[in-house]
Amino acid sequence: MGFGQSLLASGSPVDHVVQHQLWTMPLDLGFPFTPKGEITLLSDQLVMMMVAGFLLVVVLPGLIRKRRGSDEIGCLVPSGFANFIESICQYLRKEVAEPSLQEHTDRFIKYIWSVFFFVLTINLLGLLPIAAISPFFGTHIGGTSTGNIYVTTTLALLTMFMMVANGLRLGGMHYIAHFCPGPLWLAPLLVPVELIGLAAKIFALAVRLFANMMAGHILLAVLVGFILTAGTAMGTGGGLAIAVPVILASVAITMLEIFVAFLQAFIFTFLTALFLGMSVVFHHDDHGAEAHGH
Amino acid sequence: MTKTLVTALVLGMTAPVLASGDGGGSNPFAGDIGNALWTLIIFVLVLVVLGKFAWGPILDALQKREQFIHDSLSEAKSARESAEAAMSEHTAQLEKAKAEATAIVEEGRRDAEVVRAKIEQDAKAEADKLIERARREISLATEAAVGEIYSLSGKLATDVASRVIGKELTGADHERLLGEAINDFKAVQRN
Repeated sequence: MGFGQSLLASGSPVDHVVQHQLWTMPLDLGFPFTPKGEITLLSDQLVMMMVAGFLLVVVLPGLIRKRRGSDEIGCLVPSGFANFIESICQYLRKEVAEPSLQEHTDRFIKYIWSVFFFVLTINLLGLLPIAAISPFFGTHIGGTSTGNIYVTTTLALLTMFMMVANGLRLGGMHYIAHFCPGPLWLAPLLVPVELIGLAAKIFALAVRLFANMMAGHILLAVLVGFILTAGTAMGTGGGLAIAVPVILASVAITMLEIFVAFLQAFIFTFLTALFLGMSVVFHHDDHGAEAHGH
Repeated sequence: MTKTLVTALVLGMTAPVLASGDGGGSNPFAGDIGNALWTLIIFVLVLVVLGKFAWGPILDALQKREQFIHDSLSEAKSARESAEAAMSEHTAQLEKAKAEATAIVEEGRRDAEVVRAKIEQDAKAEADKLIERARREISLATEAAVGEIYSLSGKLATDVASRVIGKELTGADHERLLGEAINDFKAVQRN
């Protein structure tokens, strides 16, 4: 059953952008851990995530090693594709991470770079029409892992873990004091607000990426669904007549999706750096306190 | 914005399906802890491997390049400052050398003037001395010549007188007559 037929059969465009389990195991941990009473051991989206991880781990280290020469200066100059990777890395380091993380930039930059390239690779792989052709081979692989709320929430929770753990490690009492920015008697009000703020940051981080990646793919599925709906209602001629504008619109939306893949990876990375910086950089407040003290 | 609206629309359309408990393929929130665990494992693996084999070398190269550029700029700045200092020093030395050269030339000119004047003076003095000596020698020669003329004239006169008077004169007569003749001759010459 092809993409169009399956789309028509399912009657919902959402079917084609959500996860399709390939291997599950019964396990009931309750909502939200196992809503269906089973745990996913393998799915189409997980396969794509593994492919993304494999590509990053295997391809990227080889690409970045290309240098102009082996002498003192040549080894500092990247060559070929390494230029592309290094310019992205340098941009993220200087323009995204450093304004937030300041002196801690190089301490966290590996995490920042990993987040960006991991999300970007998954986003871009999700644009490949593998899911549309895989049913011909009797399976269902493809899809965008970042269109799965559990994936984006895990990445966001990792960021929260980095924020809290490094905030406590580097700031100690400074970090804890951040949860009560006002006078102590306001702590019962401020601490819950700050905790809710922390949770909201993580929630926004997870939902923003998930919703954007999910929406683009649903939009494409809806557009393609128009052809089949028109074909069913008006016959082959009607379907073909609708197909032309729909395909043109789909191409345009796919172009937009490529941009969105980069944009969402950037936004997730930017917010990760920003939130991390808010947790580990304290000296602005110290200067402020000193200024007030004087 | 459009995408958010579409998401809302789709979620709105699928809400009845979700609410009906048919959480199969149409649930956009489909997933479970398995997805989270796999995400955690794969991401941590990517972080560790790339951290060691990709991000480490890139960060190292970026830091080295930054340091190299910083050092190069610092060296260029200090080299420029040194060059400017050397230039101003050289300019000062050149000015000093010019002044010294001018002073030396001026001093040389003055010395030459002094030497010229001294040479002129010496030459003049020497010439004067030579002239004076020549004068003295001429005067002495003149006196000697005159004396000789006197002596010769006296002798001639004596000889002539002897012949005239035919008398042999003694030596004392000669002396006396000669002296008288010279005195007469001198007196005539003075007058």
